[in-house]
Amino acid sequence: MSDPVLNEDQRDALQEVANLAMGQAATRLATLLDTFIELSVPRVRVVAVRDAANMLRDMTGIDEPVTAVRQGFRSDIKGEALVICRSGSIAQLCALVNDPYVGSTYEAVSQEELVYDVANILTGACVSCILDQLGRTPVFSAPGLLGASMSLDSVFQANVLAWEVALLVEVNFALEDQSFRAHLVMLMTEDSIRHMNEALDALLSSL
Amino acid sequence: MSLPIVIADDSLLARKVLTKALPPEWDVEIAYASNGGEALELYRAGKASVMFLDLTMPGMTGFQVLEALQHEDLNTFVIVVSADVQPMAQARVRSLGAIAFIAKPVTPEALLPILKEYGLYV
Repeated sequence: MSDPVLNEDQRDALQEVANLAMGQAATRLATLLDTFIELSVPRVRVVAVRDAANMLRDMTGIDEPVTAVRQGFRSDIKGEALVICRSGSIAQLCALVNDPYVGSTYEAVSQEELVYDVANILTGACVSCILDQLGRTPVFSAPGLLGASMSLDSVFQANVLAWEVALLVEVNFALEDQSFRAHLVMLMTEDSIRHMNEALDALLSSL
Repeated sequence: MSLPIVIADDSLLARKVLTKALPPEWDVEIAYASNGGEALELYRAGKASVMFLDLTMPGMTGFQVLEALQHEDLNTFVIVVSADVQPMAQARVRSLGAIAFIAKPVTPEALLPILKEYGLYV
């Protein structure tokens, strides 16, 4: 089977589609956190899952322990979205949000809740908006914590994630002072990437 | 004489969508820029009576282009076209001298009233 790859026009289109999605997600996150979210250009790469950790490390500069939340999505384009952030930065995020996260006796639980909230917003808005622009309506499974303090390498272990290929749509949300960054990555099967290629071609030829 | 306009966006798809949203009868000469630096060069070459400007671009962002234009004479109508629809982003570009903010994906319906308001298209 040949490697599913994106040609230059498809990559450009997916990047712009992701850019629109990122704007939607950022607006919701800005509302939740009552702050301005700095956006950068989303980056799109197709890699084997075994190479994903290295690629993401190069793209983000992360080498500290991370917290990762996973959420599956299904349509004919299906896969899993991961929201990854540095575990050490979550306390700073909590400090931004008032009750019930700050000063709570259940601080550990609350931090986890906040990470879930952030991940849910990013995944929901981003994945829905991307697939919506490609004419799909995804069904989401419940989000789950992949790990609270793990290395990037263990996030992308093949026995943990069922996907062979990662479409790395790296979308980067940062607080203005850069104290917190979240990265969203979409993992998909090769079949799904082919469906996505067709959807991108259809979008391009409609113009 | 055709009105010189610049469409600045790093995405080919976005440049196409915007071009398609322009009024078909509008007599313009379009120059394209795929980053902020190119947009400024086109402005300095007198090719931007109107500039459609994306915010998130690699290298020089749309915010930085607006800041640079303020240090020159800002002799252009800048319409920001962006996916970053946070209220604070909209306020920021207006304070930097943009005449309008349009959310992506841009439509003819969103564009036309702005062009008319500023007498750019009648």
